[in-house]
This record gives sequence, C-alpha cells and structure tokens, in this order.
Amino acid sequence: MSASREDFGIAIRSALLKKGARQKFSLFFLIIISFLIFFLDSIKFTAVDITRSFLRDGIYRASSIASSPIRFAKYSGDKIKLHFSIYDENKILKEELNRLKNKDFDFEFLSSKNRDLQKLIETDAEIVEETVLAKVLLDKDSPFLKSIIINKGKNSQIKKGMPVVDGNYLVGKTVEVNYLSSRVLLLNDLNSRIPVTLEPDATQAILVGNAEKNPVLEYLPEFFEVEEGKTVFTSGKDGIFPAGIPVGKIFLEENIAKVKLFSDPNQISFLNIVLTNTDEVESF
Amino acid sequence: MAILYKNLKLKTLSLGPLILLYFLSVTEIDTQFSNYFEILSFNLQLIIVYYWVMKDPSILGNGHIFFAGIINDVIMGLPMGLSALGYLITALVAMYIRSVTVKMTFFTDWFTFILAIFFSQFINLILISNFSDLNISYSVIFYNSLFTFIFYPIFWVLFNPYLTIISRFNND
Repeated sequence: MSASREDFGIAIRSALLKKGARQKFSLFFLIIISFLIFFLDSIKFTAVDITRSFLRDGIYRASSIASSPIRFAKYSGDKIKLHFSIYDENKILKEELNRLKNKDFDFEFLSSKNRDLQKLIETDAEIVEETVLAKVLLDKDSPFLKSIIINKGKNSQIKKGMPVVDGNYLVGKTVEVNYLSSRVLLLNDLNSRIPVTLEPDATQAILVGNAEKNPVLEYLPEFFEVEEGKTVFTSGKDGIFPAGIPVGKIFLEENIAKVKLFSDPNQISFLNIVLTNTDEVESF
Repeated sequence: MAILYKNLKLKTLSLGPLILLYFLSVTEIDTQFSNYFEILSFNLQLIIVYYWVMKDPSILGNGHIFFAGIINDVIMGLPMGLSALGYLITALVAMYIRSVTVKMTFFTDWFTFILAIFFSQFINLILISNFSDLNISYSVIFYNSLFTFIFYPIFWVLFNPYLTIISRFNND
C-alpha cells in the first residue's frame, strides 16, 4: 500500500516538475502562474485594469485579422446560398411590401397619437438616443458566455451597460469596455436580465437568458395567460434602457413563455450602441 | 543539405498540432453546434492537449499550452487564467498517465481522458463559482464535457496517422 502511494507520488512529482529537453517551463510553475493571473484578474485595481484593457484590445485585433479568411469563406458561402434563393425571396418581399404599405397609414395615425400621449405624460424626456455604429470584430460561441466583440470602446464614449441594437431591435448590452473594443453580452446569455413590457396590455416582465437560443420571460403577473405572437419591448424600468425597443415575439415551449428574438446574433455584422444619457450606467 | 531539409520538414510537421491549438484559440472558429442541435458542443482544445501531451509532450510545449489558454480566455470573455489552468491540468493528467502506463492502447487513452476532463472542469467550476460573478449552466458544461469525451476517438483516428508520419521522420 505504502509502495503504491510512493509510486503515485513519484509519478505526480515527475509529471509536475519534469521539463524535458525542449520544455522551458514545468507544469507546476505554469499552474501557479495561472492561479496568480486568475486572482490578479479578479482584483479591481487601476493598473491591472489598464493592462487588461490594452491586452484585450491587442488580442481582439489580432484575432479579428486571423479570423478574416474564415469570415470571408462564410460570407462567400452565404452569398452563394442567397443567390440561389433570390427568386423566392423576391416574391415574399413583394407580398411583404404590399402588406406594409397598407399598414403604413395605420402607423402614421398611431405614431402621431403616441407623440401626443407622450407629451401628456412627459416620459422619456431625459433619454438621449444618440447611437454609435460599430462593427462586429469577433463572434465566437462558448459554453460559458454568449457574447460578441465590437470595434468601438471608451474612445467612442461607450460605457458598461449601454444597450446595443441591430437596426431597431435589441441585441444585448455592453459588459466589458476597453479603449478600442467592447464586449456585448447577448440576450440569450445566462447572465442577461432585461426588464420588458408585453404589448398591447403593457404587462411587465423580465427577459432572462437561459444559455439557449431563445430567452425566457420571468416574473410575469400571477395567473397571467401567455398569448403567443405578442411583441416584447424594453420597458425602460431600469432607467438605463430606453423604453420601446422591440425585442421579439412570444411563443410557448413546454408551457414556458419564451421569446423568439427579432435579431439573430449570429448574422450581425454591424450594430448600434445607444449612448444612454445616465450616470447609473457606469456603476453597472 | 539533405539533413537540413529533413530537419526543416520534421520541424514544420511538428508545428501542426501547435498551430491548430493556437488557431482554435485565436480565431472565431468554435466547436459549438447549438444552431443545429441545442446541446451539441465540445472542447477540441482539451482533446488536442491531451492527445499530444500523451503521445509526445515536446510537440506542444507547456508554455504554448499556457499561452493558448490565456488567449482563449481573453477571446471568450472568461476570467484570465481559467482556460490556461484547465489545459495545464489536462496536460498534467496526460503526463501522469504517460509515466504510469507501460503499454498505451486506444482504450487506456480514451478512458483516462475522463479523468483529465473531470479535473480540468472541476477546477474551472470551483474557481468560477467561488471567485467570479459569472453565472454558468451546469447542464451546458456537462454536455460539453460529455461530447468532448465521446468525440475523442474521432480525433484519435485523425491524429494517429499524423503522429506516425512524425515518428517515421524522427526515426529516419
């Protein structure tokens, strides 16, 4: 028994400390360094933050360059696929155009009515909806975090917690801001929580990411009956996100209210960051 | 001249697994297939580290494994050092198995890989849950580990001929 324990000790010691002829560092040394880096990374210290920020900027840029051939191949594949489906798509788009033309008149009437009502209740007066256009640098999926990297950072007045939209549709919020780049946490990430409102009866809920494709609606009122097809908008209750950004449509899956997002994060090349005019964002 | 050419060819061939490891860490290529099948994802870097450290530790090099892990952390948005630690633990298990096993077969490789996956994910989970604000889905991590284990034989079959070529060059 003691002999086998000794053998185990010898084998582990050899695995940890043996460097071999071509190795410069032992595993033991590198494991200690990894632990040190991990704990240094969790410290909120200005010098560490600045170093981390520059390191990330550099690696994101290098990664973006290294990924460009893959992105080009993906782009070419999509283009070819699109070329073959262009006739059917044209037919669908014509029908959609006719439908939207009819809706346009209703929309004009409703938006003027909405403007009048907004004036009456004086909401959203402090929200400045200036946006910054950003390009997606990296879109790498991971089992830990659903996020994308964009090419705008502190140099473009971006702060932590700002909403990110694709056209008119909400995509997520910024969670890491470096000098030249930022990380956007997507709505389906497990760490994402967004206060939303369900139209047309303005029911309040929280959109919670579940690490799957479609996030779920939580904190709905008791005995609330979910109707499929209802549109979900941001409610602006957190004071950071402007109210009324379209998020997606509700559908039911195994009696759980989920939201099919309007914007597919895997297909985005450009995004807009909404520069929300509040100091609360910084303390996110 | 012939010796120089042979050495150059051997060096280039030996760089293959290392280039693949860096390529997977640096570029946006990922092994997450949740668009096709919700739970399908695996960790190819762990397979590469385990296989090549087990077969020939000098091909990857501890420093490169560590550095690839750091790059992976930055790109994935994980606390820095986490993936590096996972890869190094995998390398440690591989080194241990290598030193205690007299005759290595495919099945010893495959089943001992469970230990490597277990220890690396276990350390990662402990560090994330105790020292980070990150919320993680345990089921996603479990499926990722399971598919990493299941797909090991496929990559074993792919890497084995490559290893044979390197060994042949080495012995010539």
